[in-house]
Amino acid sequence: MERNLLWLAQACYAVSGILTARRLRAGGPPGAGQRLTEAVMAVGFALHTAFLFMRGEAIGRCPVTNPLETTAFIGWSAVLFYLLIGSAYRVSFLGAFTAPVVLVMCLVALVSFADVHAPAAPGTSRSPWVDFHVAIAIVAYGAFALAAVAAGMYWWQERQLKSRRLGASFLLLPPLEQLDVITYRLLVVGLAMLTLGMLGGLVAYWLARHGTLPKMVWAWSIWLAYALVVAARPLWAVRGGRLARLTMLLFAVTLLSFWGISQIPNFHRPAP
Amino acid sequence: MKLLLIGLNHRSAPVEVRERLAVSKSALAEFCRALLAATPLREVVVLSTCNRVEFYGVAADAAAASLALRRFLCAQRQVPDSVVEQLYERQDADCAQHLFEVAAGLDSMVLGETEILGQVKEAYQAAQAAGATGMALNRLFQKTLAAAKQVRSQTAITRGSTSVGSVAVDLAEKIFRDLRTRSVMVLGTGAMSETTTRALHSRGVRRIVVVSRIPERAQVFCDELGARAISYEQWEREFTAVDIIISATAAPHPIVTRAKLEPYMKLRRFRPLFLIDIAVPRDVERGCGDLDNVFLYDIDDLQQIANENRAAREREIAACRAILATHCARYMAWFVQNQAALQQRYGVAETAA
Repeated sequence: MERNLLWLAQACYAVSGILTARRLRAGGPPGAGQRLTEAVMAVGFALHTAFLFMRGEAIGRCPVTNPLETTAFIGWSAVLFYLLIGSAYRVSFLGAFTAPVVLVMCLVALVSFADVHAPAAPGTSRSPWVDFHVAIAIVAYGAFALAAVAAGMYWWQERQLKSRRLGASFLLLPPLEQLDVITYRLLVVGLAMLTLGMLGGLVAYWLARHGTLPKMVWAWSIWLAYALVVAARPLWAVRGGRLARLTMLLFAVTLLSFWGISQIPNFHRPAP
Repeated sequence: MKLLLIGLNHRSAPVEVRERLAVSKSALAEFCRALLAATPLREVVVLSTCNRVEFYGVAADAAAASLALRRFLCAQRQVPDSVVEQLYERQDADCAQHLFEVAAGLDSMVLGETEILGQVKEAYQAAQAAGATGMALNRLFQKTLAAAKQVRSQTAITRGSTSVGSVAVDLAEKIFRDLRTRSVMVLGTGAMSETTTRALHSRGVRRIVVVSRIPERAQVFCDELGARAISYEQWEREFTAVDIIISATAAPHPIVTRAKLEPYMKLRRFRPLFLIDIAVPRDVERGCGDLDNVFLYDIDDLQQIANENRAAREREIAACRAILATHCARYMAWFVQNQAALQQRYGVAETAA
């Protein structure tokens, strides 16, 4: 039942993406088209939220028991971050770009992964530290996803400026500096949250031996990679185009490696 | 009753003629009152801009009103008959359609420019204040302002700049978040660099450094734009502090090379740098544009974008005219339906209409 809600949410994101593509091609001024795009996206987010809520109710815990649920949760976090920061930065187009990215992520997960639930081991899955670790880490990945979206917009806008071929979208996209600031701030917020989540994971492991070695190695590797990217700006002046390319690459690697490592048996189960 | 337009614009008359008929903003109301007193016009609005002087009126006898208006202009402006003979004339639907197109920027020298809408509004307000408008022109100008706004919001007629200076500013605004906090260095003080600097200044740039071998030219930048002048030997020292460089020197070879720029970019910690090279031969080596966070545009690049924007606006003309034609048809239907009311209001016998 709740899977249908997720499919419906993806349909909304698809419509939002199509409307965005049409506006980018036409390059018209913002107005009713933009409001319609945002309204469709809001409906998608509501359906997405309903999916996660109902799934959580059905399995009795945070809905991150398989790659589909986790990917859906990351996508939801990305949209949530957009809703939180989009109005602050007056960059509604960030949301318009977020919809297609979340759509692709969730569609891949919907068609690629079996929607089975790993049974929780008694005394471990209900640990508040596990839920804290998982929820905070996933919200952090949502921030990284939105950072990748902002970086993608930067890359596109920079490409147009560098090639001196300005498309219809040129006037609609925000300035490069603004996208650079948004990307970096999202990376910082994401890293801070991931750090908290990782510390929560350490506590969960110490209390209940919850976790597996491949998972921990993968998670700390990702944390280290993001920490290096965040540190690269003050240390080595990595900004603009280079930061955008790194951010997109790192999120792609994170997502693909997560999907890959999720195939390891017992990835989500507590250590014996 | 007839709608009447008599006027001239940048296509029909040279500036020497236009300036002789131009009416200053402060004199518009008085001029409208004088026209009502001296001619058979029952309502009148005078639109006077750099590129056009147009008289919109309502009269029972269009031919008599036209003749009287021309005579009035000859006398009041002390211009020969040959000048008023150059004025074009439109009536009824042609007059209304013309006004709709003028307000939408379709008849402007720069297609789609938006300043004209404000000027039409000011002309209407001045006439209204002078008591020179009635039900016909009130409705016409109100519909005109609404139609022009619809055209601006529903078509791309105003999109993209069509001059080199404005294109450079558009690009700067797509690189930097806020131009008010940016600094500009002007290398060489030709007319083009002045135009581009003025365009940036109009969008808020205040920190301007000017480098020129001709102190008098540099002084113009200092006096009018608040720029700081430095000698030609000093410019490289300022390089790390500026965000935009407008280069227009007469140097026979590039003065900004990739080899020179690379170490500076490290010193700048790769903050974005916008190079506007409007010199011929070019001042900036093309390879500079390949560096990270460096954006290089030469005069041809800017001109090409301006041309593309102009062509894009021209492609929108048909869509604009379609919107305006609907408004014009609606207005003319109202105008015909209300002929009796207009005649009664102005005490005109039915046959005269």
